[in-house]
Amino acid sequence: MRINTWYISSFLISLVVAIPILTVFTSFFEETSNYYEIIKNTFLIEYILNSLILLIGVLILTFFIGVGSAYLVSFYEFPGVNFFKWALILSFAVPGYIYAYSLTAFFENYGTLYSILKSFLGEGNYNKLIPKFDGMIGAILSISFSLFGYVYVLTRASFHYQSQNLLELGQNLGFSKKKLLFNIILPSARPAIIAGLALVAMETLSDFGAVSFFGISTLTTGIYNSWISFDDLAFANQLSFFLLLFILGLFLLENLSRKKAQYHSPVRGGVKKKKKIKLLSFKAFFAFFALMLIFLVSFLFPVLQMFYWTIIFPKNFIDLNILQLFINTFILVLLTSFVLLIFSFLSNYGNRVTRSKFLQHVSTFSITGYAIPGVILAVAFITFIAWLDNTVIKFFDLGSIKKIFIGSITGLVIVYFIRFYSLSFNGLKTGYERINRSIDESSYLLGYSKMKTFLGIHLPYLKNSVFLIGILISIEVIKELPITLILRPFNFDTFATTAYVFASQDLLEAAAVPALFLILIASLFILITSRYILRD
Amino acid sequence: MTKNFFEIDNVSFVAGGKNKVNNVNLSIEKEGDIICLLGPSGIGKTTILRTIAGLEKINNGKITLKNRIISSNKIHIEPEDRNVALSFQENCLFPHYSVEKNINLGATRKIGKKSKINSKNIIKFLNLEKILNKYPHEISAGEAQRASLARSLISQPDLLLLDEPLSNVDQSFKEEIQVELKKILTNSKITTIIVTHDSYEAFYLGSKCAIILDGQIKQYDDPYNVYHFPNSVEVVNFLNRGILVPAKVTGENSLENDDLGTIEGNFIKHYPKGSNVKLLLQPEDLEHDDKSNLKLEVVDRKFRGTNFIYTLKTPSNTLIPVFVHSHHIHQHEVDEKFGIKRPIHIDHIVCF
Repeated sequence: MRINTWYISSFLISLVVAIPILTVFTSFFEETSNYYEIIKNTFLIEYILNSLILLIGVLILTFFIGVGSAYLVSFYEFPGVNFFKWALILSFAVPGYIYAYSLTAFFENYGTLYSILKSFLGEGNYNKLIPKFDGMIGAILSISFSLFGYVYVLTRASFHYQSQNLLELGQNLGFSKKKLLFNIILPSARPAIIAGLALVAMETLSDFGAVSFFGISTLTTGIYNSWISFDDLAFANQLSFFLLLFILGLFLLENLSRKKAQYHSPVRGGVKKKKKIKLLSFKAFFAFFALMLIFLVSFLFPVLQMFYWTIIFPKNFIDLNILQLFINTFILVLLTSFVLLIFSFLSNYGNRVTRSKFLQHVSTFSITGYAIPGVILAVAFITFIAWLDNTVIKFFDLGSIKKIFIGSITGLVIVYFIRFYSLSFNGLKTGYERINRSIDESSYLLGYSKMKTFLGIHLPYLKNSVFLIGILISIEVIKELPITLILRPFNFDTFATTAYVFASQDLLEAAAVPALFLILIASLFILITSRYILRD
Repeated sequence: MTKNFFEIDNVSFVAGGKNKVNNVNLSIEKEGDIICLLGPSGIGKTTILRTIAGLEKINNGKITLKNRIISSNKIHIEPEDRNVALSFQENCLFPHYSVEKNINLGATRKIGKKSKINSKNIIKFLNLEKILNKYPHEISAGEAQRASLARSLISQPDLLLLDEPLSNVDQSFKEEIQVELKKILTNSKITTIIVTHDSYEAFYLGSKCAIILDGQIKQYDDPYNVYHFPNSVEVVNFLNRGILVPAKVTGENSLENDDLGTIEGNFIKHYPKGSNVKLLLQPEDLEHDDKSNLKLEVVDRKFRGTNFIYTLKTPSNTLIPVFVHSHHIHQHEVDEKFGIKRPIHIDHIVCF
């Protein structure tokens, strides 16, 4: 193995990504305050139980919504099916916490639904009749409707690749539609469904905004509170350890299920276009109604709720310094995208040029950041910087580095980098996998240097991937809450943090303006990338 | 210093950590010569090309091009710096460029002489005019292969390496391209190494052929010699153009086979009288003669357009192939008897 720039840079990337994991593990045995004893004896079981209930609830709901909608748009022809195909992914633009605000605002006493009923039916005691979606139910609904898109997108792609011949074979064997669904369609899409659910599970366990809004004590809120309220970093890290074990288990489960078998193979010459079944009369109406309901509930409902508040409370709109929020959000978006893309290119190109198995393993390790909740990353990062400051920096008498990394844009971008590195690394990796190695070799043999091959062949070929990855990173950064909340500089706000701060002060109507902007910007990005996200 | 234009000196070729072809010695004397590497699939022919191109490294020996060492255990000239072009078997056109741009990239090589080859001629002879504006994903495998060949030719390298250059080209078009390709390579004096598993292609295009078997070069000679004077049983079996029958040397110019009787001709290697040998019988060695009293049973007949290949069974159950001109009027059906002209005379007798 020759040690060169590629090895060193890949190592450095892995090292940065490894910081939070190592910190959490090393901090596990540290002394903590009394708060630990209190929590351990009273709430730890509750944290774990709540996290489990939330997880199971969200998984069940996202499975039915995601797989059901993917099945309808993939196998049936009915009015509006092409619209729903992309409209359903707009739910990605609504973070769970904003959904939670909408849900509460709509169904609360004297809330939006009350106003609607009053305006149509006159005065009345409607509060008793209106159901309340708060607490655990509210959290499950909010998170499910904001995350079912993962299951929908992956399952739909898997359905698309299912062999038409396989389906026809089933029909030849006399399978009914129901038998076809349960014996052929669903089993062969299993890896995609599980991959989607695994993503949902990781995001659910990471969720901070929705659960904290509904006041549910999960491991994530426990971590946040132990640090913010009790200033107990060590305990925050210990809770993180439990949460990481949880996630590790999920990770292994997902990997095991994926390794088992090849479920469908891409066919040479493209995939035979599926013959969709045309639905008529009430069946067509039912399919349309079901998908319209999902679209309405998952996207239109929170948008309209936020829009409604923005209209009826225009002062909130006027008072908010939207331009500043735009600038702040876009500084983060641009810096993060730039840093992520540069390092992802470095790693991917290094792997390609050196063909080193060792480097590939290092890269695989460095993409684990996505599985780690933002809260853990932020708290672990602070712990690490504090340790570094108290030991190495102090030893060399270099002053303090805390200001550089904590409460600064630099720190924010580093932790975003750890969290979203897998997104850009894997995105570029997928792009690179489409470039046959003999393409590079042909380029060398035509006299192109490695740099010229990169600039003249790879970059032009990967420009769509770069664009897509940039947009996906932007969507994630715009929606990101816990990392930004914990690590942002003083008086530095984004749309997400502004919405959260207002909501946590019970000023939901004031949270509507930044929330609406956040959804609209994210929706715009999703629409731009929809043809890639839905690419078959 | 070597006098040869190109030379491989005691090199073992490695791919994926495994030795593929060992201790290779091979040289091309003059600029403009064309040689072919012939061997079964997976034997390491492509590895040799990739190594010559600089895409793989070597641990022993050296490779020299125009008196410059381009590969050894210490020296490794990077692929982009050796002015060697390799046309891959699979589609390796740049997917984001049109076919025309792909081909023209060949003319922009940073080293080497300015291309004297007229790209229009190349495009015409390879029948690429209609697909110039298309992108690689819009053309067939054969078209991609021809475009890749055009790109390599236009780059006019010191050494051109072609890996199964016509494997995806339609049979009807193949011979025409072979003729034109040979013309262009010869006229523009491009030294070329062609890898193929098609012996006819190798015999036509190459001024010399190297037969690679069992991890080594078994024979490196001109095509006529490779065919008529194979130097080992393995080469005979690989070329599959004859069979070995037992015989006893009976004199300076004769031997005896139990089924065929006396066979006369010129031995290419001396064997003492009374030696038991294996005689190479090629389909064109035996002549058909209806009047002959040496009759063998027909067990199969293949019509090959220009000729028939009869498979005859001898009394000792040996199966012998025999060519007959396809205009031969009297056709023999399976199970009929087939006369062989006697005495049997073979121009050059090859025994093992």
